[in-house]
Amino acid sequence: MSVKLEGVVGGTGRSVLFSTSTSWLLALACWLLPASAAVAQDSSSDGDSPVSAFAQAVDLEPLGSAAVLVEGRLKSFGSHASSTMHSITGPRRIAGQSPAFTYLDMMIRPEAYADADVVYVKNKNVRQRIADVLIGAEPSLEPRLESSVRTGLFSPMLLQRAEVQELLRVMEADLVRTARPVSEIRGALFLSDPRQLLARLRVIPPTEVDPQERWHGLDELVLPDPKAMESAGLPTLPMIEGLDPEVASTIRREWRGFVEGWMNGDAPKVNASLASLVAALPGVNAELYPERSRLAWEHWYFEQNNLTWIWLVYLASTAILLIAVVYRWPMALRLGFGTFAIALALQTFAVGLRWYVAGRWPNSNMFEAVTTAAWFGAIAAIGFELWVRRTPLKGFFALGAAVSCMVALMSAHFLPVYLNPNIGNMMPVLHDVWLYIHTNVIIFSYCLIFMAAVTSAIYLVHRFFGGLPAYARAGGTGMILATTAGSAGGAAAGGGWTESVGARKGPSFGEVLDGVTMVLMELSFVMLWAGLVMGAIWADHSWGRPWGWDPKEVFALETFVVFLLLVHVRWRVKDKGFWTALLALLGAVVMLFNWIVVNFVITGLHSYA
Amino acid sequence: MANHHSSMNPSDLRRGTLAVPLRVLLDLFSSVKMGITLLAILFVYMAVGSAGLLYPIHPNLLHPDAWVHAQIRQWRPFEMTEFEWFHWWPFDVLVILICANIAVTTVRRIPFRPVNYGVWMIHTGILILSVGSFIYFGTKVEGDTPVLRRLVVASLADGVASGEFVETAVLSNGAAPSPGSGRSVFSAVPSNRATLATPRGTYGLEVVDVDPEWELLSGEDQGERAYSVSVMVESPTGERFIRQVIAQHPEYTEDLVFTQDPEQPMKRSVKIDGNPIVDDSLRLELAYQSQEWFYLKHDIAKNWALYVRRPGEREWTERPIDGLPLYNDYIADRSWVFQSEGAAAMPIDPIDLEVPAVSETDPTPSTTFEVSGYLRYALERSRILAGGPQDPFNPTAFLSITSDRGERSEYRLQALDPEGRRADGGLLAFRSVDSEAGFAEILAEPSLRFEIPALGFVENAPIRSVLLAQEDLGFTDLGETGYAYRVAAVQDEIPLSSGIASIAILEIRTPDAKIVRRWVFDDPRLTRDVGPDMAGPSHGGPALIEDSIDVQYRPGTGMALLTLVVGPEPERLRLVNTIGTEKPEALDIGVGRGVEVPGGLTVLLDRYMPRARIESKPFIVPPNQRDRDAGTHFAMIRVAAPGGEPQWLRFHQYAFEGPQDYLRRFRFDPQRMRLADGSEVEVLFSRKRMKLPAEIALEEFILTAHVGGFTGESGSIRNWTSLIRFETEDGWTEPQRVSVNDPVAYGGYSYFQAQWDPPDPARGEGDRMSRGLNYTVLGVGNRHGIYTQLAGCTISVFGMIYAFYVKPVIRRRHLERAAAKAKVPHAEAASREPAMAGGPA
Repeated sequence: MSVKLEGVVGGTGRSVLFSTSTSWLLALACWLLPASAAVAQDSSSDGDSPVSAFAQAVDLEPLGSAAVLVEGRLKSFGSHASSTMHSITGPRRIAGQSPAFTYLDMMIRPEAYADADVVYVKNKNVRQRIADVLIGAEPSLEPRLESSVRTGLFSPMLLQRAEVQELLRVMEADLVRTARPVSEIRGALFLSDPRQLLARLRVIPPTEVDPQERWHGLDELVLPDPKAMESAGLPTLPMIEGLDPEVASTIRREWRGFVEGWMNGDAPKVNASLASLVAALPGVNAELYPERSRLAWEHWYFEQNNLTWIWLVYLASTAILLIAVVYRWPMALRLGFGTFAIALALQTFAVGLRWYVAGRWPNSNMFEAVTTAAWFGAIAAIGFELWVRRTPLKGFFALGAAVSCMVALMSAHFLPVYLNPNIGNMMPVLHDVWLYIHTNVIIFSYCLIFMAAVTSAIYLVHRFFGGLPAYARAGGTGMILATTAGSAGGAAAGGGWTESVGARKGPSFGEVLDGVTMVLMELSFVMLWAGLVMGAIWADHSWGRPWGWDPKEVFALETFVVFLLLVHVRWRVKDKGFWTALLALLGAVVMLFNWIVVNFVITGLHSYA
Repeated sequence: MANHHSSMNPSDLRRGTLAVPLRVLLDLFSSVKMGITLLAILFVYMAVGSAGLLYPIHPNLLHPDAWVHAQIRQWRPFEMTEFEWFHWWPFDVLVILICANIAVTTVRRIPFRPVNYGVWMIHTGILILSVGSFIYFGTKVEGDTPVLRRLVVASLADGVASGEFVETAVLSNGAAPSPGSGRSVFSAVPSNRATLATPRGTYGLEVVDVDPEWELLSGEDQGERAYSVSVMVESPTGERFIRQVIAQHPEYTEDLVFTQDPEQPMKRSVKIDGNPIVDDSLRLELAYQSQEWFYLKHDIAKNWALYVRRPGEREWTERPIDGLPLYNDYIADRSWVFQSEGAAAMPIDPIDLEVPAVSETDPTPSTTFEVSGYLRYALERSRILAGGPQDPFNPTAFLSITSDRGERSEYRLQALDPEGRRADGGLLAFRSVDSEAGFAEILAEPSLRFEIPALGFVENAPIRSVLLAQEDLGFTDLGETGYAYRVAAVQDEIPLSSGIASIAILEIRTPDAKIVRRWVFDDPRLTRDVGPDMAGPSHGGPALIEDSIDVQYRPGTGMALLTLVVGPEPERLRLVNTIGTEKPEALDIGVGRGVEVPGGLTVLLDRYMPRARIESKPFIVPPNQRDRDAGTHFAMIRVAAPGGEPQWLRFHQYAFEGPQDYLRRFRFDPQRMRLADGSEVEVLFSRKRMKLPAEIALEEFILTAHVGGFTGESGSIRNWTSLIRFETEDGWTEPQRVSVNDPVAYGGYSYFQAQWDPPDPARGEGDRMSRGLNYTVLGVGNRHGIYTQLAGCTISVFGMIYAFYVKPVIRRRHLERAAAKAKVPHAEAASREPAMAGGPA
């Protein structure tokens, strides 16, 4: 922050010569600041703090069906608050409060947050450097800053100190390493300004039927109270054109009641005003107001942390299925399938709900790609399990899918900074039918690759603990055909089992694992190649060339090359099971490299995926 | 993918008939091991070319700086883009070897029968894809072209003007161009300026606003939206007005004139005198900017070019710069550049590239330019040196201002530089005086000096209040002269086309009770009267209506809150402060000594150089401060003509022909070079370009937004659409839509929506904000071989499905039949037919 001389105009008799046209606007914008002096309680940034009595008494549920226009999308307030607070507090919840409560509290009682640890600094190196500078300037801050370094949360007041600002200036010059974290800190400080929080509440629909008309902020209606302005001798802002004065008066009254109630800690008043306010908003233009049930579901979806906690159910099914396939316990298998089915049902609900609230199939950002890919894998596992239900292969597909879904949902749950769950509009280039074809095929293949890596890993562990070098002789699909035939053909293929084990009744554990890996590898092989071709078709008409040697493209092709190697190496080597498992794992590593390193480190044309 | 059939090896059959070397070669290429080896090499080659290398340099691998990422293809020996790396001969050889391996193995080792149709299809598909790719990438041409929406064509109705630039333009409404031999043609982009020379004098023209969504307010088209361009016109007589021209609706062209009404500073001319046009002799029309070139991208191959023309000419002649690198800096002497403090010394790695003329139209065909340096990412930077007694007086001060909250700003001020003498929008200034009287003038309050020569009256009067702030401000008598005045408004440091000026607007009452409104500038040459009955001050021209009284405005420190003053001696420095004081106060200031001023500010003069000398060189931006998305925007080359001084040229995205073609966000800064024969040429560093198959015009650019309209946020944008026309022998085609994911094919090229012109705030003084949508940038490319590639891909996909899911069924049936026929145990049958051991083919 630099000194600007505009801020010190005054005190001179000549100041009348200069424009004062903006001063009243600033005064208006600061209306909320002095009014919140009578604060009953302070907020704490300690995530373990019990939620205050006021926070518990306030019922923000009605806000769930209030629409906010954000970047061309009508969101529920819950969704908007979640994404805004995500930009300020990162994955942390302040004082155990919901993002919606913190949003409103930060807006109405900003002084309570001025020196509270609420601004999240993701980069640990940057955290430490900020703390070092502050401790150097004021050693007594050390205990507090130890906590900040641990949680990543810093106080806006500390971040605004000159020594920190100087450090931020130095760090933002380093575009490679620290400019982005600094930009995020500045963005968080900017967003946490109560004026910004208020200005972003575009909750009043336009009075015209044209959906392209802009939505209005509460600040436009509430702050310039014409009578108060007039009596203060200030110019009045134009009212929202076409807005029924009665409706305007109701909105203004209820909003004021809400704010006053909040400042006084009067939860009943807050609840009553909020309910009336939310009820009044659609009255401005019922035709344009979005479906309230959708908003309510969206609000609930974000309140439920995007239902990523389903990973716990997958964890349970993983444990049970692992026991079932290793020890061949029919009861455990049934229980495992049951748990897996429950998890899948919950995830299907989550995917479907996100589809409903977003108004589009969820596959256009990292959160959606990862969670939807996992869901595809789980659906495919159900299909495979039905196919192999009478074979020794049963249970393994569900196990692979359960692990994949668990990992995917855990990533979404614990790494929201990287897998941002917020719902936004798609960028223009994604508005194409090939998004749904190419992307879904590719992410499905990725999930299959991960599932194959799970069975490969188990195979390698099995071999490490003395398992025989067994493999499925007929390959993946061939093995299933052989084992499901129950016919002469199945038997003729030797049941698809390896010669090394010799003729016997059933396949060994290693053979089954290798067979499952091959089934998954074969399908992922086709899907990945088909997906690449589809991507090329899309790129040809979108970017003007089917193949641009973009890192994302190259490493998708690299994954395919690994599987080409797998197919040919398997043909040549003696220990087919081992090499298959090893190369399937390598394929998964390359796939994950593509999804993680290429996405976050080496950006390219596919920066959104 | 291959199948293994050891029972029948065709190579054995031919062994006796083939020459040994050929047999060895065929055996080698029939080897699956070779295929695996080639695939492994391909994997490594692609990984290294795309991601580069990541290696640790710190024992603690978790340390943030423990890992270094090296992009090998960008190293000096390579200097390759991704495309170049993947079309380098080793890669081509690798792909050819793989194809040969696939072909030979398939033919020699995989019998063509139903069970192997899958692998045959896969291998055939990959071979066809490879052939298609060689065709596609071998003939690939790709670039981009900016297409402006409209040009403004200025001419005189009587056709006697001689415009700065004369060219043929086709009017967007299809009408013939205006009569006359001369026109001034310039881009309809805010802030763009031009002049039109006429026998009566020169018109000054400036685009002040472009509204792509102007709502027509009257006529049959009322309510429709149209593209409107507003041009500020300054006539040869000094009259200023704004002419609004609307695309496709020349009938709605009208002028707006200035008024004195603060509520309505501009009025439609028709409302004042019933005539919509103030100056009938000036004709302004809108025309298409037909684009005939597209510029080649660097990623398929490096496409550097030097453009040359004679001063005064419009057309550039292109000279390719072959062999110029891309990613690393190449210099022969470190003194050529500035480096940041602490940076490692740049390696000395000279280049010496000749850039001869290749075109018959080259203005100087015998001159071969020489490129001796290349910088990937550098800025033009000037360094101030203290200078010596021989250097001219050039007072330069380095100031810092610190608030009591610890906020700090640093400034560099140059008293003799019109731009460099002010900062923070004019609130901080540095001025030079050559006498104490001059200093006293700065120290004085803003004042007016009245002189009535006929009465011998002279008076200096400070300005204490203005009508704008005090509505009941009365007139102040000028002694007993009968004259009186009041100040309506004061505005300091306003940018004018002639420079920066300060103005006091006065109302003067004469003894005969006439009221004259006078604009009194600090520069008396600009002072003019505006009669109250006149529509606008500009109408009156520069003359004084009431010449019996002379007024001068002395702004004192002007709008500056802090003014550093040097003089009369070169080392004498004082600070004039107006913060928190009734009158400006002078404070002594010296290097290293902080001066406190009200408002909790401390002004510290860090350095002072009375005879500063400026040294300009490229500054190498440290790698960690480079914007990764900047591409070649900051590239520079060092060029010299034979016998001439080398010059550093900055990279230009496009070779615009003049400032009139300038598009916002792009650079236009050609430089002059003196040749051995004493003549001069203009040179510009850019990319190679190619002729489009047909000229393109942009009819309209449409921004589609999500609900709530375009809010300025990228998330609110739904799509961009360019409506373009192609020029044919019969005129322009109907508009064709190019939008994201929806290209248009024409003349063997496809046209893609690549970039757009977003709204843009004013960038400093003299610049105007832009609402955007003034131009589009289209991607242009060919796609030979694309269907061959597609055929190969499709065949291979079907092959995979066949190999993985059809073949096992065929094999099972085959085995069932074989087992039934032989009536032998199935396992025995299986042992006679060893399958592919789990392989897919």
